[in-house]
Amino acid sequence: MKNFYLLFVMIAAVYTSAQDHQMHDMEGHNHEGHLHDTMVDGKLLEVNAERFDDFVLGLEGKQVAIVSVSGMVCDFCARGIEKTFSKDKTVLKLDVDLSGGKVLIAFDKDKNIDFEDIKKKILSNGQNATDLQIMKI
Amino acid sequence: MLKSNAMQNSAYYHYSPSYKFSIGIEQVKDKYFDADYSYLRLTYLLNRKNTQHSQRNLYLQSGISSDGVDHYFYGVHGDWETRRLFSGFGYKETQTASLDYAEKYLQLGVAPYIGEYGDLHTWLMVKAKHDELTNEWNTYPVLKLFKGNALMEIGYTDASEWDIHFMYRF
Repeated sequence: MKNFYLLFVMIAAVYTSAQDHQMHDMEGHNHEGHLHDTMVDGKLLEVNAERFDDFVLGLEGKQVAIVSVSGMVCDFCARGIEKTFSKDKTVLKLDVDLSGGKVLIAFDKDKNIDFEDIKKKILSNGQNATDLQIMKI
Repeated sequence: MLKSNAMQNSAYYHYSPSYKFSIGIEQVKDKYFDADYSYLRLTYLLNRKNTQHSQRNLYLQSGISSDGVDHYFYGVHGDWETRRLFSGFGYKETQTASLDYAEKYLQLGVAPYIGEYGDLHTWLMVKAKHDELTNEWNTYPVLKLFKGNALMEIGYTDASEWDIHFMYRF
């Protein structure tokens, strides 16, 4: 009986948390879909639009590598990607778009973006980089 | 990593030179045997399959105790997860000078909402665990929360009471 009571308390707590989350969504952070209808390198840019727009704020004149990553299903597991790229001094900014399966990495406009190097860094965290799109901001 | 349950409390410090393996020291306060010891532990990622929406892992684990070479453990654990669903299992065989025993578990979970990077993430889980020392299966609810580099798993059962697991990644 105690277990059922505990389960009920847990569900109630999570429901409240989910409600808070929806309120947060209404304030402009939608976590579902929102694909950018922009073409980059002949391919649709499939990222969370609002997250992408927030990311590129202040990056005028820079370039952004949009890396498709497989196996990036959990925030906790993706933390290592941020840690690995933070050691690279040419990286200006980084974000992880879990819903789109993308890692966004900002570089200076003159930086030669090496996909093989990005693949190695992503693999060192246990995920696989499968595609790269580069967008000039 | 800190763990606490009816059988033992432990603190595990580990370093991962690569995503394939980690090595560390686990300090154990064994409530069942009323003993304190440490394990030198090694975990190896035997197999991982990444897809766009899922990841599957299979790990081997082993440890040798500070008590001596006749006290050690080995086992296997695995998981498959998407952003919505989780399933995992584990089997661990421990040998000591006086007694050999095994522990096994199955765990299923669902995320009630899909959080984004940086949000508080929540999993509602059910864990079924068998310990040969008590020769009982216990099935109990587990709440798993993580945000940033911190993760916490809290389970409770009448039989073994609290099962708590805390992890912080530096």
